[in-house]
Amino acid sequence: MEKIVGRGAFSGIVEGIALVCPESIQGWSGISDTTGQIIEKGHSQEGVNINGRILVLPCSKGSNGWSCHFHSAMRSGFKPAGWVFSKMDSRAGVATVVVGSPAVADFKDVDPCEFIKNGDLIRINGDTGEVEILQRSLEN
Amino acid sequence: MNLTQYEQDMLNGKYGEFKKAALKKVVEYGIALGAEELCEVTKATLYFGAHPYLETTNGKNYDEVFSKMYLCSDETIKMGEFAEGCFCQTCVAPCDHYQYEPLHLTKELFDKNREYLDITKEAGVSIVGSCTPYFGGWIPLKGEHFVTTESSNVLMCNSVFGACGNSDGIEAAAWSAVCGRTPKWGNHILENRKANVVYNIECKLDTATEWDVVGYTVGRMLPPHAIPALVGDFKRPTIIKLKQCFASMATTSGAEMCHIVDVTPEAPTLEIALGGKEPEKVFTITQEDYNKSLRMLCDEGEAEINIIALGCPHYTLEEVRDVANYIKGKKIKEGIDFFVWTDYSIKEMAVQNGYVDIIKEAGGDVMTSGCPLVMGKKNFEHAIGFVSDGAKQAHYIRSDLQTGVPVYYGDMYTCIDAGINGKWGGK
Repeated sequence: MEKIVGRGAFSGIVEGIALVCPESIQGWSGISDTTGQIIEKGHSQEGVNINGRILVLPCSKGSNGWSCHFHSAMRSGFKPAGWVFSKMDSRAGVATVVVGSPAVADFKDVDPCEFIKNGDLIRINGDTGEVEILQRSLEN
Repeated sequence: MNLTQYEQDMLNGKYGEFKKAALKKVVEYGIALGAEELCEVTKATLYFGAHPYLETTNGKNYDEVFSKMYLCSDETIKMGEFAEGCFCQTCVAPCDHYQYEPLHLTKELFDKNREYLDITKEAGVSIVGSCTPYFGGWIPLKGEHFVTTESSNVLMCNSVFGACGNSDGIEAAAWSAVCGRTPKWGNHILENRKANVVYNIECKLDTATEWDVVGYTVGRMLPPHAIPALVGDFKRPTIIKLKQCFASMATTSGAEMCHIVDVTPEAPTLEIALGGKEPEKVFTITQEDYNKSLRMLCDEGEAEINIIALGCPHYTLEEVRDVANYIKGKKIKEGIDFFVWTDYSIKEMAVQNGYVDIIKEAGGDVMTSGCPLVMGKKNFEHAIGFVSDGAKQAHYIRSDLQTGVPVYYGDMYTCIDAGINGKWGGK
């Protein structure tokens, strides 16, 4: 099984379909508070819902409101099942804690935004930092 | 995570449930980051008030809303005091401090916002309503640890004042303001603040708008987590120009620190800014890169417009004065929302100088505490064309406006002309 290892950042194990956003998602007007959809104009995944997906991002981006819009969407019933960050940063750390889904970050020799393909079924372990590809997406 | 005895006592509940809940989240946040200890925070700006994103909680009262959305607790925790020794004030609000009708907002929202702000004021958070708190005296000094909910303020305080802070977010700023601690991580550690990429600025760079567009351009080229150092043959910027540059840079990137060689204090030379290391990447910003950003920010052609928002980030007294001087004796076309955004301390000075009367006489007004972005859709759902002199505003508003509504961006004077003509472009 294909596997990469980072640092476990938020405890828990989860499986889900990867939503890979190499450009990250902007912190303001990035996702809808009420629908969980990506609303950032021109985003490669504009219109896609974050709910139940494992978000694979290089970093956060934009406003310090990054975490609060994920939080608001979570209160509306839409939240990512997990997070994979190439490298942890402050906005991403807060969003991780606020949403409370397992998270893995800080990969040294591999970029998860390249290794994981959008639509792959993956399992992440927020304690050991392991990310496994369970099934490659047929899209790619 | 290594905690001091005081912090351990707080985590055990010695100082009450409010502080215990806040510190618990700070510790979780520190673990997520990989931090080993905490540091003391002495200044905070906080995103309090009845902001639209809070509506999804359907909370019955503010204690419930605050517990859910700031403390991340489904159990309602009664609000206690904010941290002693940490001066806390509010960031922007979702309504003007005095008016709601011209902004297409309801009295219900206006009252609720004031109610929320009064509650946090009683707990120790002064009502300010500013995204540029340094113009009102909120200035963390070199080495001082701060939290803020305004991304451009993170860049200003780190880069210009030499203070230490990260772009944590709305909830974490509140946790830190309550318990007085934040993870000692990122910009709180001096060796992490060195530049690792260099930008040679070859495009024209002098006016506030040019600094705004260059900030936007640096941000959209910036590799994840990189710290830029800007070098070039440009005139020394003022703080007004830097506020524009930092606001747009923190829109297209996650930048938290930006060195400008021979301008910012940790960059007397490029070598010192880089900490003696070779840069990982060197960029050149050409006039073509600049023009590309401008095309991203400002739609083509000419069309009728009905909303003009000046002051993103909030205007200084100098900028309000410049608007008054330019608009004096002219008239904004009827039916256009022409608003200059600042905080109410600057508005009061503008009143004393007669600038507000001049702008009102021309058919505009000076508004405080917020801006279209933070007020949300009710403020601009009637838009047929939106104009701003802030790249940050022009960028984000595109995702919130109804499809097909054009967004125009330009300098203060071009925006005022659009208000007088009732349209963007042409005469």
